[in-house]
Amino acid sequence: MTARMKLGAFLWATGHHIAAWRHPKAHVTAGIDIDHYIQLARTAEAAKFDMVFCEDAAGLREANVGIASQTSRSIGFEPISLLSALAVQTSRIGLVSTASTSYNEPYGLARTFLSLDHLSGGRAGWNLVTSASPIEAANFGSTGLKPHADRYERAREFAEVVTGLWHGKASGHDGQSFSVRDPLGLPRSPQGAPVMVQAGASDVGRDLAARTADVVFTAAQTFEEAKAFYDDLKGRMATYGREPDDIKIMPGVSPVVAETEAEAREKHEELQALIPDDVGVALLSSYLSISDLWRYPIDGPLPELPESEGMKSRQALVVEQSRRDGLSIRQLARHFAGARGHWRIVGTAAQVADELQAWFEGGAADGFNVMPSYFPGELDAFATLVVPELQRRGLFRRDYEGRTLREHLGLKRPA
Amino acid sequence: MHLAISLNIAAATGEAVLDFSRISKFVRQAEAAGVDMVAISDTADGPSSSPFEATTLLAALATVTDKIGLVAAASTVAHQPYNLARRFASLDIISHGRAGWHATMAQGSREAANFSRPEGFSDTDFRRRAEEYIGIVQGLWQGWDADALLFDKTGGRFHDPEKMHLLDHKGEFFSVRGPLNVARSPQDTPVLVLSDLSEADLDIAARTADVILLESGSVDSAKVRFDDLKRRAMAAGRDPDAVKVLTSISFAPDDGPAATADRLETQLRAKSCDGFNIQLSAQHSALGDFVDHILPALRQRGLVQEGYRGTTLRSHLRLDGGGDQ
Ligand SMILES: Cc1cc2nc3c(=O)[nH]c(=O)nc-3n(C[C@H](O)[C@H](O)[C@H](O)COP(=O)(O)O)c2cc1C
Repeated sequence: MTARMKLGAFLWATGHHIAAWRHPKAHVTAGIDIDHYIQLARTAEAAKFDMVFCEDAAGLREANVGIASQTSRSIGFEPISLLSALAVQTSRIGLVSTASTSYNEPYGLARTFLSLDHLSGGRAGWNLVTSASPIEAANFGSTGLKPHADRYERAREFAEVVTGLWHGKASGHDGQSFSVRDPLGLPRSPQGAPVMVQAGASDVGRDLAARTADVVFTAAQTFEEAKAFYDDLKGRMATYGREPDDIKIMPGVSPVVAETEAEAREKHEELQALIPDDVGVALLSSYLSISDLWRYPIDGPLPELPESEGMKSRQALVVEQSRRDGLSIRQLARHFAGARGHWRIVGTAAQVADELQAWFEGGAADGFNVMPSYFPGELDAFATLVVPELQRRGLFRRDYEGRTLREHLGLKRPA
Repeated sequence: MHLAISLNIAAATGEAVLDFSRISKFVRQAEAAGVDMVAISDTADGPSSSPFEATTLLAALATVTDKIGLVAAASTVAHQPYNLARRFASLDIISHGRAGWHATMAQGSREAANFSRPEGFSDTDFRRRAEEYIGIVQGLWQGWDADALLFDKTGGRFHDPEKMHLLDHKGEFFSVRGPLNVARSPQDTPVLVLSDLSEADLDIAARTADVILLESGSVDSAKVRFDDLKRRAMAAGRDPDAVKVLTSISFAPDDGPAATADRLETQLRAKSCDGFNIQLSAQHSALGDFVDHILPALRQRGLVQEGYRGTTLRSHLRLDGGGDQ
C-alpha cells in the first residue's frame, strides 16, 4: 500500500479568510453556536479526516478595537471545552486543541487533555504553542511578553513534565519553572498518550518538535519552502534518537475550490473584495510584530524591520514573500488576509488534488491541515469535491483504519 | 425549594471506574426528576473514580442534556483566572446558559505542590487571593454587553466596540487586562457556587456567591448561619434572595423516605435554608432511591415543584438575569 496523506480540518471562527464572516453564505454566529461546530465535526468525520484542529489565544487577536470589531475573531469557544463537547458527538475523528505552555501549568494541562482523551476513547491531541502575542501576556501579569528563548525553555520543561505524567513515569519533578509531586489520578490513555502536536518553526521551535512532537503544523507559501522545512526537521530527528517517520509534518493549506476554475476564482475574488484595507494592514502588522505599519504608504514597499520577539517564523515568511514578488504593503496585506500566511490554492478539485499530491509525493508534506476560507461552505466543498478525488488517486483513506488518533496518523503507541 | 445533587465522582470509591455513559445516564435521570443542578466534584490531588476532569466532563454532559444546571468544581490554584473565566464562559454557551463554577474556599492539601507552589499558601494569603480571583472572573464574565454582537455583514460591523469593556485589573496577586474572548453568557453570567466557608469567608461569599453550600448541622445552627448570611448579603447591598443557601445532606440507605422527607421539611419550614444539596456517590441506585422514593414524598407535601419553568440555571434558581422565567 502506498502511503496515504493525513488531513486535519482546522475549525476556526467563521473561516480562515479574514473577511469570511461577511460572505453571504458564512455562518456568522459560529462563535456562539455549538450545533454548528457539531455539524462541522461530523462533516469532517464523514469525510474521514484524521482530526479536527483548533487554534487558541488567551486574549483578543487584535488590540485596536476598531479593527477588531470588523472581524469575527474576538469571540468564540474556548477550545478544550469545545472539543470535549465534540468528543461525545463524534466517534472516530481525532480532536486536537492548541494550548499555551506560557500561561498554563503542566499538571493541569496534562490532566485536562488526558480527560479529553478518555472522553473521546483515545482521540485527543495537544498542539503545543508558546504564545507570541503581547495581548495574551497582558492577561497573565504586568511584565509583558517574555523573550522568545525564555518561552521555549519553559516549553521544553513543560513538555517533558506533561509527557512524563502521561506515560506514568515515576512522579516528582522539581525544575526551573515547574514542580510537580504526584502522578495524575487518572487511568492511562486509551492510545498510550495523547498525540503531541507542535506549531512553531524557528530554530529552537524545530528542535523542540524533533525532541517531543508527533505532528508538526507549519506554514509555507511555496513547495521549496515546505520542502526545506520538511528535510530540515526530519534531519533533526536522529539527534533525539527518533526515526524520521515518527513525526508527521502537516502544512496548512487554504483551498478555494469549485466545479470550474472560473467559479473558484470568482469565489476567491468575492472574499478578497470584502477585506477593508485597514483590517488587512492590521493583520499584516501582527504577523510582522510591529505596530506602526499604517504610517508607511500603503502602495509602497515594506520598511526594514527589527527581528521579532514574537513569531519569528511568520515574520520571516512575510518578508521573504514581499522581496520575492516585489509586493506593496496593500498587496501583501490582501495576500495574507486571505489565508493567514498559509498556502492557498484556488481551482477545481483536480487542480487542488494535483497540488497536494505534488507536495506530498515530492517530500514536502506528510499531510495537510485544511483551512477552509469560510464555514460551512468551504469545508463542505473540500469534503465533497477534493476528498473523493484524493481517494480515487489512492492518496487518502476511504475508511478509518483504527479507533484512536495515533492509529489514524500511523504513529507508534508509546510504551 | 431548590435541589442540587453533588456527584462525588472524584472520590475514590474502590469501585470500577465510571465511564461517560454511566455518568450521563445518572445526570439524565436527575434531569428527568427536575433537579435544579448537578455539581461535579473535582480534585487534582488524589485518585479519582472517574477518568474525567470536571470542566471537560461538564462540556460533554451539556450536549446530552437540555434542562438541568451543570456545575463543575475548579480550583483557584490549578487555573489562572483568565483561563478559568474563559473555560466557564464557553461552557455556559455550550450548555445554553446552564453552567456554574464551584469554587472551594478551602485549600486542597496536596494541590499546590502539583502546581509549582511546593510551599503552598498561608490561609490569609489563600483567602485574599481567592477573593481577588473571584472578582476577576466575575468581572471578565461581564466584559461583553449582552447586545454587543451585531453580525452586520454588509455594514462590516461584527460587534460594537463600545460594548466591549477592558477589565484592567491590577491587584496584589494578579494583573489581568481583559476582555475575555468569549461572548456574554445566555444567563448573564455563569452561576458562582461557593463552599467550605470559614468565618472569615462569609462576607466574601455574601458579596459574590449565587449559591452557598453549607454543611449540615442542627436546624437551629443552620438557621443562625442562614440568617447571618442573608444579613451579610443585605449589608453588601444585595437582595437577600439573590444568594441561595443550600444545606448539604447525605442519606443512610435505611433512613426511609418518610423520615428523610420529615427531616428536610423541618429544616425548610424553620427557614434554615433555600434548599438542599444532596450528596450522592455516582451510583445509579443511590439516585434511584432519591428520585423514586424521597422526591415523591417531598412533592406530595408541596415542597418541590414539577419540572423546569425556564431553560437556564439562573431561571431554575430564581436568580436575576436568568432570561426566560
Ligand atoms: C503554523 C503555526 C501555527 C500556530 N498557531 C498558533 C496558535 O494557534 N496559537 C498561538 O498562540 N500560537 C500559535 N503559533 C505560534 C507559535 O507556536 C509560537 O507561539 C511562536 O510563534 C513562536 O514560534 P516560532 O518558533 O515560529 O518563532 C503558531 C505557529 C505556527 C508556525
